[in-house]
Amino acid sequence: MTEGRTIGAALLRREDYRFVTGQGRYLDDVVVPGSLHAHFVRSPHAHARIRSIDVAAARQAEGVVAIVSGRELAEWTTPYRMAPPIEGLRAVGFPTLPIDKVRFIGDPVLCIVARDRYLAEDAAELVTIDYDVLEAVADFDSALAADAPLVDEALPDNLISHQSFTTGDPGRSFAEAEVVVEASFHQQRQTHAPIETRGCCAIWDQGRQHLTMHIGNQVPHPFRTQLAARMRLSESQVTVICPDIGGAFGQKIALYREELTVAALARALRRPVRWREDRAENLIAASHAREDVARTRTAVNGHGRILGLELEISEDFGAYCFYPANYLARVVAMILSGPYRIPNYAYDIKVALTNKCGNGPMRAPMAITSWVMEGTIEAIARRLSLDPVEVRRVNMLGAADLPYQMPTGLLLEDVTPREALERGLQAFDIVAFRARQAADRACGIYRGVGLCCVVESTTYGSAFYKAAGIPGSGHESGWVKIEPSGAVNASVGLMASGQGYETTFAQVVAEPLGVDPNEVRIHMGNTDTAPYGMGSRGARGGTAGGSVLLSAARALSDKVLTIAATLLGLNTSGELRLHASRVERRLGGAWTDAGLSLADVARVAYLDPLRLPPGMEPGLEAHRSYDPPPMTFSNAMHVCEVCVDVPTGKVTVERYLVVEDCGTVLNPLIVRGQQQGAIAMGISGALLEEIVYDENGQNRSGSFADYLLATAVEIPPIEVISQHTVNRKTLTGSKGMSEGGVMGATGAVPSAVNDALAPFGVVAERQPLSPMYIRSLLRGRADRGPGQN
Amino acid sequence: MSQFDPVPIVLDINGTQYRVFAEPRRLLSDVLRDDCGLTGTHVGCEHGVCGACTILLDGAPTRACLTYAVQAQHHEITTIEAFGGDGNLSPVQQALHEEHGLQCGFCTPGIVVTMEAWLAENPDPTDAEIRNALSGNLCRCTGYHNIVAAIAKAAARRREGSPT
Amino acid sequence: MKPGVFSYEAPATVQEVLQSLAARTDSAKLIAGGQSLAPMLNMRLARPEHLIDINGVSELSGIAIQGDRLSIGALVRHDALARSELVGSCCPMLAHAAGTIGHYAIRKRGTIGGSLAHADPAAQLPLVALVLDAEMEIRSARGTRTVAARDFFQSIFTTILEPDELLVAIHVPQSRPRESWGFRLFNRRAGDFAIVSVAATLARGDNDSILRLRLAIGGIGPVPVRAEQLVVGDPARLLSKDWPARVGAMVADTIEIQDNEQIPVAFRKELVAALIREVLDQAVDRIPEHPL
Repeated sequence: MTEGRTIGAALLRREDYRFVTGQGRYLDDVVVPGSLHAHFVRSPHAHARIRSIDVAAARQAEGVVAIVSGRELAEWTTPYRMAPPIEGLRAVGFPTLPIDKVRFIGDPVLCIVARDRYLAEDAAELVTIDYDVLEAVADFDSALAADAPLVDEALPDNLISHQSFTTGDPGRSFAEAEVVVEASFHQQRQTHAPIETRGCCAIWDQGRQHLTMHIGNQVPHPFRTQLAARMRLSESQVTVICPDIGGAFGQKIALYREELTVAALARALRRPVRWREDRAENLIAASHAREDVARTRTAVNGHGRILGLELEISEDFGAYCFYPANYLARVVAMILSGPYRIPNYAYDIKVALTNKCGNGPMRAPMAITSWVMEGTIEAIARRLSLDPVEVRRVNMLGAADLPYQMPTGLLLEDVTPREALERGLQAFDIVAFRARQAADRACGIYRGVGLCCVVESTTYGSAFYKAAGIPGSGHESGWVKIEPSGAVNASVGLMASGQGYETTFAQVVAEPLGVDPNEVRIHMGNTDTAPYGMGSRGARGGTAGGSVLLSAARALSDKVLTIAATLLGLNTSGELRLHASRVERRLGGAWTDAGLSLADVARVAYLDPLRLPPGMEPGLEAHRSYDPPPMTFSNAMHVCEVCVDVPTGKVTVERYLVVEDCGTVLNPLIVRGQQQGAIAMGISGALLEEIVYDENGQNRSGSFADYLLATAVEIPPIEVISQHTVNRKTLTGSKGMSEGGVMGATGAVPSAVNDALAPFGVVAERQPLSPMYIRSLLRGRADRGPGQN
Repeated sequence: MSQFDPVPIVLDINGTQYRVFAEPRRLLSDVLRDDCGLTGTHVGCEHGVCGACTILLDGAPTRACLTYAVQAQHHEITTIEAFGGDGNLSPVQQALHEEHGLQCGFCTPGIVVTMEAWLAENPDPTDAEIRNALSGNLCRCTGYHNIVAAIAKAAARRREGSPT
Repeated sequence: MKPGVFSYEAPATVQEVLQSLAARTDSAKLIAGGQSLAPMLNMRLARPEHLIDINGVSELSGIAIQGDRLSIGALVRHDALARSELVGSCCPMLAHAAGTIGHYAIRKRGTIGGSLAHADPAAQLPLVALVLDAEMEIRSARGTRTVAARDFFQSIFTTILEPDELLVAIHVPQSRPRESWGFRLFNRRAGDFAIVSVAATLARGDNDSILRLRLAIGGIGPVPVRAEQLVVGDPARLLSKDWPARVGAMVADTIEIQDNEQIPVAFRKELVAALIREVLDQAVDRIPEHPL
């Protein structure tokens, strides 16, 4: 092995130069001469049959080249099918573009291809579509009511998924409990809102019968697989090339209908076709997320110890399933117990289709989890008049309890929730806060402290998918090459959208090779050159990608040293290492230069192979694949302070800290940045964001004036305190960590609001914690007086 | 109403003259990017909220998506390309790099341009003032913490007259 | 989202603007800062055939004292208004309110004329114009007229301006001696349009007497409204320790608040009470030599 210690260094990012100077290359910066522009005409109705379409006038409009509907797309592409063999989940399928009816406002009906977007929008105004408006279902309860209109007429009703599970004997625990506590949690509909919307550019080479798709996508290879299949092409006829991506957060994974339409049009027209989604489309018709109601019933003893817990989730999934509809809520149910010991557990999850935009995973699809578990703990504490910190301690797993098999079978190990809890409380100085809180309350100022213990599931391995009945793999692939000059190239099947992979993975690869990370270039996103991997999602990038690259780099390092030993006339490479791009030899306990550079070895490997050890192949390349453990957990303790302005209901987050354990850190700057970004997204969701549909399915959140993202004023400074313990099962010792911040803030902010409003005897159960909602809780209530919490 | 009526437009961008031919309705953001090849100015919303498209018009931060290219004639336009492209990063750009004040980078040019102008008028800001000034630029990645630190650092360096 | 086709001109004088407006009465729109109009054009919510860009009409950019009034050209940018020493000294509420509009980039372009003509029900400048009894100077090819703020705002996004008219200046009577002010808007995020906004001026006499209270509220109906007439009894004449809260409660209880799907009436009523209380606290605090 070799010295180096680039892993864990706080290196500044390589990618920054192009980004701070505006020289990044995002999708719209990629010039493809001769491109036509696509624009979608979308349904203005939440639910309607398409009676007739008249495009005669639109076809004549300036600059229009083609107008296609679902009928043409049905000839050029296969229909979509989502039918994984999962019990309780119904199979669905739909055509590439709707032919018969539209299911939500914004459902794409036609695609107009014109010389530019301006002209395409002009032409769109000349289209006449005759709709038979149907009754719409715009919420979970309406969707499941008897005689509710069917969102998907191939199904008998709108219940797309129903799954339940029981372990132990929850019924008995409830019968024997001293107290049963109920709590509910309503999380609102949100959307990812990356600053760069969706878009793509498809180029069909008729001569080579080859499709090139330029698109910012988190999972280039799985995307290519889907795209090829839907286009009835071989995977070797499709290349996906990902440019820089302006944020993704889970919205840029699935093959969307618009993208498939653009690809099919490029082939049909034999012209490059590109598409840029505008912000209204992005908010209304891309992908939505969350919109769950979770209810818990907990059996407890007099000390607050949990004997049994029942969880019920109702999820509003929208009209189309681009992902298995059971999948998102299921993870919540599977990891709900988090850091706690829950011997008897049951869950029941229902997911309904409604006439809204279809849902997908949004950074921390399981965002509601910690809010529900921690909120349940706090409900228990309130009911029994106990300190909620004590109730946490009573139930929380300690080091001696690990590894712990969670009620749903997942193995929880190498996590430090107790330690994080104690450190968080100490760092925040709860005692001093309580004094300030009491003093301020006397002046009519209401402050609160919120706590949230997070156990985050990350880096899902193949064994997890198998056990869950979900088809697919959790592996990641990578290669590392040393070029004849000694330059190092590496690639992995992930795709960056801000995670800093070009820097962190260069650090990982550089370490075993003993080179400066600046000499390592990481290539991603081109399916012709990158290895087939599962891509960037589920907080897997650092752990899965880092591990596979470490594995490949080590293999290559071994080969280099074996060659060096031969060149130096040694029997073994055991006393050799790579350092500062040179080979060093240990003589008499000290490392000295062996007179060979890495480039010298590389030159031999490529250009003078007869000098290689007998039987060794020329070249310096290593390909590896890595399947992580079924689940890798990280944990964190979130503590935040809010101030609630009681007369107006406005909540201000004034202080935020997180104690986090994400195992081996590849680059601490990146880790802190990911925590802060995730926490900010969680705060933004807790206070501001909401996709609003009225009872007729009209979407009221079509602009950034309606869908509110937090600005620098609403997000406080975020202090990150690190307490890292290694994960002993991942190759790098890392744990994923980039989604837990959302989980933590989603729980910590309402916890703080409840603490602030305890004098009024109210409990917030919904998000967003808007001023209107807070006032609705407080209306007619007064501070019950000191000593009355 | 469906007449295609492009007009000649002369734009002074970063000290260079660009001659384009575009309809009056063409957004300055589109003309900069597509006609002038200056793709550093990004489009995030086209209704003036996200700030990704911010450029300077006669030194004042302006949403390029709310300006029609034809309106920008006879004014000095400054885009992100005026800063640091030769390798000498401005204090704002250098500080963003040092403080890890960017992740995906899409909002970054709008922030750089806005702050270059704002710091010129507000050379010694408090963190609260920085946050207020930043409130017109949405970032979905960083949580703003490091951006604020970067702007404070840049302000200090600008006061000292040193870029790093 | 790209706008529909329009033709464009950029006249250099008021005369030229008026001539164009007269010639194209129903199909032309004026564009100044564009911060409100451009989003509507881009979303195709507004479809003028012709755009008249008045940014080059330098006659409209002045700020000056004219007699007993502060005269502000319609093209004065929010940022210039906020930082003007003249406005800051003779009409500090106006300078302050302008500084709260949107964000830095918005304030650099947005104009007072544009904001008033846009007539958002809760916007800062219409509210301040109303509470300060400003007068709008309006010109067309047919002549000039002056309209009081009370009559200028007709309904949501609707003013008294005819299609061929140009708002050229706003004239604000100077404040009385010992007249203080307060201003507060409520929004969910920094820079957003207000949900409810309140502005007040308070002229005091001896012995805590109130010589004149002016109070205006935005965001409870299609236009901002004056509300001091709802203050009756002692609170109309005399300051007291809890005067701001009493006035807030009194007005909130009596003022008509129109229903609005997004923001419930009950909530806006509470905002009215809370914001009036804060605004009047500010007004009272602004003359420290007369402590209560």
